[in-house]
Amino acid sequence: MNPLYLEVSVVVLGIILLMAEAFSGPGAKRGLAYAGILGLLAILGATFFADPAAMNVTAAYAKFYSADPLAIFLKQFALVTTVIVLVMALEYAPTVEANLPSERRGAGLGEFYTLPVLACAGLMWMASAVDFVMIFVSLELVTITFYILVSYLRRNENSLEAGTKYLVLGALSTGFLVYGITWIYGVTGQFNLAAIAAALPALDQATAPALLFGFGLVLIALGFKIAAAPFQFWVPDVYQGAPTPVTAFLSVASKAAGFIVLLRVLQAFLVVPALQEKILPLLAVITGATMIFGNLAAIPQSNLKRLLAYSSIGHAGYLLLGLVSIGAPFAGTAVVFYLAAYLLMTLLAFLVMTIVAQATGGDDIANFNGLNQRAPHLAFALMLAMLSLAGLPLTAGFLGKLFIFECAIEQQHWGLVILGVITVAAGFYYYLKVIRAMYWQQPAAPDAPEIGVSGLAKLTIALLCALIIWIGVYPAPLLSLLP
Amino acid sequence: MPTLGDYLLVSGLLFSLGLAGVLLRRNLLIIFMSLELMLNAANLSLVAFARHGVTAFGLPDYNGQVLVFFIITVAAAEVAVGLAIIVALYRLRQSTHVEDLNRMKF
Repeated sequence: MNPLYLEVSVVVLGIILLMAEAFSGPGAKRGLAYAGILGLLAILGATFFADPAAMNVTAAYAKFYSADPLAIFLKQFALVTTVIVLVMALEYAPTVEANLPSERRGAGLGEFYTLPVLACAGLMWMASAVDFVMIFVSLELVTITFYILVSYLRRNENSLEAGTKYLVLGALSTGFLVYGITWIYGVTGQFNLAAIAAALPALDQATAPALLFGFGLVLIALGFKIAAAPFQFWVPDVYQGAPTPVTAFLSVASKAAGFIVLLRVLQAFLVVPALQEKILPLLAVITGATMIFGNLAAIPQSNLKRLLAYSSIGHAGYLLLGLVSIGAPFAGTAVVFYLAAYLLMTLLAFLVMTIVAQATGGDDIANFNGLNQRAPHLAFALMLAMLSLAGLPLTAGFLGKLFIFECAIEQQHWGLVILGVITVAAGFYYYLKVIRAMYWQQPAAPDAPEIGVSGLAKLTIALLCALIIWIGVYPAPLLSLLP
Repeated sequence: MPTLGDYLLVSGLLFSLGLAGVLLRRNLLIIFMSLELMLNAANLSLVAFARHGVTAFGLPDYNGQVLVFFIITVAAAEVAVGLAIIVALYRLRQSTHVEDLNRMKF
């Protein structure tokens, strides 16, 4: 099957859902989410039959669309994330309803279920983009959808504030991105990454500053997207204010797509040794700063969403460490493995948080006090997510970090490895703070009723828990799947 | 006849003006206007590069001009969404100043 159909089907699914939304009654909005989940799962199944050989390589689209194994994997990644985000959105519906100014009950819920599907199409295109025009357009499709999603709760000041901050900083990074692309185009005359890589060695030295200027601007813009220091300052506020399912979506899918684009751009520019000498040390500095900032700033946090925001910056640092060690043959697989593990544990944490925050009325760590007494299963799932995020052996998160550090040692980035180990140790402190609240603190109201969980959410939580342990103990099947 | 350098100088000035506006001004609408200025700076230099980078057939390189159209479209979408968010914020807060965006703090 031609892989081009995958994105087209996702867009068609999104449009059908939007049209169905217009004709559905207030009680039927949940059906939209179920239809979205089923449709995306069907497309996920279809990705395994996607055959790049079916593409016409001489056609114009082959210049900006690639369906290599990495792209296919990232498409599956985006689809899985979107499905779980929709499950979360279903759990989150009461909060959305309470925060929308509407006369009819349930008005505005339909779009909350549909927009993630459209963002998913953008993410899948980003996974395949090998041309700056395509990178720009798909990135903007994702970013503009996220502007709407982040500021979705129009009666909630935090959500609107987060949306405004995301809007201004996102638009700023877009400005940097296009201006950078302009200069790269001006020097090389190409938008296609492969053509740029081919044109680079023949360029004369006089144009080198202009090229580096353009590349620097693109690097800044992508740094915004993946939340690397020093461009991470928007993350805590936006993550805290956004609706929880959107936060999860932002921290997993948007970050992964940003990393793939960064990987492809780096691959194009690292072919020239002269550029390599300048780019790699710069990247190493960014990596170190990201790891330190993310992990140290997370320590004093008392809001779980904000804590996870800082921890996601820290994880971006470990992923960047994998990119810096790109010379190691195993580095690409290590980064992708880390992304897969990161997906499982982050989505599990956010899913449990969505459910518990609805029941206890807030997402401060104090709201999780004594969760073990009210809902032992949820407490266990969140504990597993936290231990995996911290990197305890026998969980997926541990192996992810191990593989990345192995590659970094192979490339002799000793300073960064030592820094990484220290920051991982710091990470244990703040992740364990959450576990302590759940198991050793008394709940605010001892006789609070048990927390109800829908069947779909239960199934998702159980699946995610099982996968985290399975991959942590026996990673061979996943490793053989990875590109 | 202006040279490529002249166009790039003007576009560089536009970009810096936009960046300075984003960093220094305190009103969200002005900040948003400055952001659009940055995108238009990129448009100007793209067209200039396209006009001066002549291809083998003696024609301008139209790839650059195609990206300009994409940028204009994306900027329009961004403005539509962005202004809606700013209007919603104004309704809730009666203000569009950056200093008032301070509910969430470290």
